[in-house]
Parts: sequence; C-alpha cells; structure tokens
Amino acid sequence: MKLTKSERALLYGPLAIVLSFWLLIPACLGLISTLTNFAPVESSVMWVGLHNFQAILSDRTFAAAVRNIAVFILAAVPLELVIGFCLASALRRPFRGRTVGRVVLLLPWLVSPVASGVMWHFLFGSERGFVGFVFASFGLATPPSPPSQHGLALLAVVFVETWRVAPLVGFLLLPGLAGIPRERWENATIDGLSRLGRIRHVALPAVRPLLLAVTMLLVGGALSTFDSVLTLTGGGPGTETVTPALYSYGKAFTFSDWPIGAASGWLIGGAVLLAGLAYLRLSRDPEL
Amino acid sequence: MSTGREVRRPRDAARSIFLAVALLVVLVPLVWTALAASGIQPNNDTRPPSWSISPTVDHLAEVSVVEPAFWQELATSVGVSAIAAVLAAAISFLGAYGLARSGGRAGRRLTPGLLVLASLPVMAYVLPLSEVLRRIGLLDTLPGVTLAEAAATAPLAVYVFYAHLLGASRETEEAARLEGAGVSRLLRDVVLPASTPIVAATVIVLFVLDWNQLLIPLVVTGIQVRTLPVVLTDFFTLERELDWPTAAAALTISLVPLLVLVGLFHRFLERFSLSAGRHPGESDASGG
Repeated sequence: MKLTKSERALLYGPLAIVLSFWLLIPACLGLISTLTNFAPVESSVMWVGLHNFQAILSDRTFAAAVRNIAVFILAAVPLELVIGFCLASALRRPFRGRTVGRVVLLLPWLVSPVASGVMWHFLFGSERGFVGFVFASFGLATPPSPPSQHGLALLAVVFVETWRVAPLVGFLLLPGLAGIPRERWENATIDGLSRLGRIRHVALPAVRPLLLAVTMLLVGGALSTFDSVLTLTGGGPGTETVTPALYSYGKAFTFSDWPIGAASGWLIGGAVLLAGLAYLRLSRDPEL
Repeated sequence: MSTGREVRRPRDAARSIFLAVALLVVLVPLVWTALAASGIQPNNDTRPPSWSISPTVDHLAEVSVVEPAFWQELATSVGVSAIAAVLAAAISFLGAYGLARSGGRAGRRLTPGLLVLASLPVMAYVLPLSEVLRRIGLLDTLPGVTLAEAAATAPLAVYVFYAHLLGASRETEEAARLEGAGVSRLLRDVVLPASTPIVAATVIVLFVLDWNQLLIPLVVTGIQVRTLPVVLTDFFTLERELDWPTAAAALTISLVPLLVLVGLFHRFLERFSLSAGRHPGESDASGG
C-alpha cells in the first residue's frame, strides 16, 4: 500500500514526537552524561571521561550486585519460563473454567513489585505470616523470615519474583499453544512421539518467536529488578540481595550521586542491549 | 463433557491437580492480605495457631490517617494511568499501522528492536528526563509524567499492534483504498472497528503497567503530583514498623481498581497476544 507524505506524517508523527522527547533524547543525554559530572546541583559540567565507570567497577557493592543479578536471572528466568509453559499447556485445551483460569493467571502480576515485596515481607514473617502459620500448624517452632537469612535472602527474592511473573508468562504463552492445530498433536501422537517429544517437535517450534519475545521481556525486566527488592529486603542482609538497579537507585537518591547513578543505570542499559542483540540474532535466524 | 469424545485419562487428573495447586499458590497470598486488611489474622504463637477474627473497616480508614492525601493520590493514579494508556495505544496504533502496511522490510526488521527498547531500564534515561522536563516546565506536572509513562510503554504497544495488523485480513481495507479512501478514513471505518478487542486488551495491559510504574513518577514528580506506587514506597520503606493490617489495607485498595478493570474486561484480555497468527475464534486471521 502506498502512503502519501502527509499520511506518513499522521501515522508516524505522534509516536516519533513522544518517543523522541520522553525516551530517546533523554536516553542519549543520559549516555553522554555518564562521561561527565553532570548533576542538577552542579554549576559547572565537566568532562570526566570514564571516571564514573571506573568508580563503579571498583566498588565492591556493585560487584556483589552483578553477582546477585546473574544468580537471580539464571534462576528466575528459566523457572518462570518452565512454570509458565506448564501453566499454558495445562490450559491449552478448552474446559469449563478455563476463561476464569486465564484471568487468575494475571492476578499476581497486578500486584506492583513494591506491594509484592511488602506483602511477602509479612507473609514470610513468623507472627502473622503464612509461613509461620504453616509451621505452627504442624506444631513446629516458627522459623525466622527467609528474606532476612544469610543464604536464603536471594532465594526468597527469586521466589517472590517468580510468583509474580510466572503466571503472566503462562498468560502470554497460552494463545500460542492454543493456536497449534489439533492435527499436529494427533499426527505426532500417531508417529509415536512421547510427551517430551511432542513438546520438542510440535509445541516449541510453533511458539518459538513468542517464547523468544517473552524471554527478552523477562531478561530485560530481571536486569532492572529493584522495587520488589527495595521493600522485601532493602538489599540485605549485607549486600546479599543488592541488584545493579537498586545500587543505581540508592546512589542517585539516597546519596544524591547523580553521575554514579546514571552511569550504573547505563551499565544495566548496556546489559539489556547485549541481551537485545542476542534476541535480534535469534529471532532473525529460524535455525538457531 | 459435551462431546463425549474425550474420555477422562490419568493425564487429566494430573492436570487438574497441577492447576489446583497453581490456583492455591496464586490466591493464598492475596487472600491472606485481604483478610489481614479486614481484621482477620492468625496468631502463630499458640499451638495450633489460632485466628483472631474481628472484621472491621478500621484498617482501611487508617490508611488515610497515615497518608492524608491517599484518596487524592489514588484519583491521580487512575487519571495518569488511564490517559497514558489510551495515549500510548493511540499513537502506537497509528505507528504500527504505518509499519504493517508500508510493505517494506523496515517493519519486520524494526519491531523486534521495539521489544529491546521496551526493556530499556528506566534508570538509564529517567535522570536526564527529569532535567529535560524541568527546562520545559513540565517537571512535577500531570502532562509531564503522563507523557513519560506513555513513552515508556509505547514500544510494547507498537509491537503488539504490528503483530496483530500483519495477521489481519486486508481485503476490506484494499477495497476501500481502491475507492479512494484516505488513511484516516480507513482507520476509522475499517481497521479500528476490526481491531477493537486487541486495542482494548492492550489499553488494559498498559494501564496496569502504568499503574505499577514506580521509578518514572518517583523522579519526575514529587510534590504537586503523587501517584500510588510512590506513596506506597514511602509508606513501606520509611515506616518499616508500619502496622501490617494498615499496609495490607493500602495494598488491597491499590489492587481494587485493577481487579475491577480485569474483571469487567476479561473477554478482551483473552485476545491479548504478543504474536501474530491464528487464534481460536478469530475468523479473519490469515497467518501471514
């Protein structure tokens, strides 16, 4: 379809204006400002080269944050994908209550990360929480809250975020799985494929682009994790649950150190772009 | 079973159990919180744990004691999220239509990149954004934060609409085009009516994303304008010793508008999909 010049302006103009001024230009300015000491209180802006990045990379808290987010992503993203896939498979064929089931999948995602952190902070608690209740029901001593425990805090963060996101993954994968024609499942069964074989040769190829898109969103979201951690553990105990985004947030707002906050924010941005490159590569090449 | 063709197999039993467990895992934390908000809490110090049941609305009332402007802030959140969602959907639909119908490879190459853009951490651009907004006098104003949230969610919306429009039938469109209809008439009379479900579903999804957005309003607003996640964060981080029932009440109230929205429009939400292609019950999908 041929579009005239004015039609193109009508279609792309509003989007281009909003994206440029409220997203792209600030992002570019942000990237440039990471090489300066720019801050609202600073009267003279000076070029500092890579100084901000050097300061961040030699900061042990940031190193801990990188380690934490790597563990978090390696644990949470596959878990969310697998659970989400199972949920979508279980809801694939129509049955009574499926519509309700699909809506229920959205519920944890409706809880904002901030609120979900607070909610689990109390649910994990011993006095009035659910975990304490279960232990007490069995006549056991109530354990201390996992988010405050050495070695358990990061797992607790993984659990809380998986609770919030995995059902959403199921919600997003469901249309893809439900759209696979019935004959393909039947043919695969006739060909003697096991359940795993059917998942590998029927389900996964059919939802591959969707799965890649969802994984991209999950990895991007996971890299920027901070609000749920802020209210669940505050980054502790020690630096066990500090994430790069929480580090960046803390630097910018608690210590009013804009240059460090912005530069560490862009380090996360860089990681997202790297993940994005891998995603673009994979989504272009159907064989990989 | 109405058809009588599908015999109950052990697999169905396993599926039912899996779904029942999933349902419990999703619902128990939310119900626990809602109960606490209405004065129903366990006491885990006794063996077996006992329940203190004193249904009350006091905790809901306490929220506006702790945070006097709570209801005002709730209204602000509704307004900002609704306008941002509708605006983002509108500009994204126009842009996606252009990309999907200009026929070039540009659209196909560009759209996976949109998903990367949608994952860009807010931390990478929000500090300079606040500086840009300050210079044009939109810092701490409703238009400033609304447009910022619209820009943050627009890339995802373009991705969704593009996938939908690629899969949709074009016959009516092309016929209307041959009769000399311009793009604006085409959109109004042909394309938009056929896309109502996906547009409605996307607006709801964007509304939820905007409703739960913390970092953008945290940085670009503060005194004149305050949205719910910012308030809740203050609530939860500054007053760590905050009474759990009051926190639960604030949390429950902040969830109610979303529950109403999802409950009312779940039929549309079912049509939400990140991928183009055949959906059950969608008659005009060409799968291209």
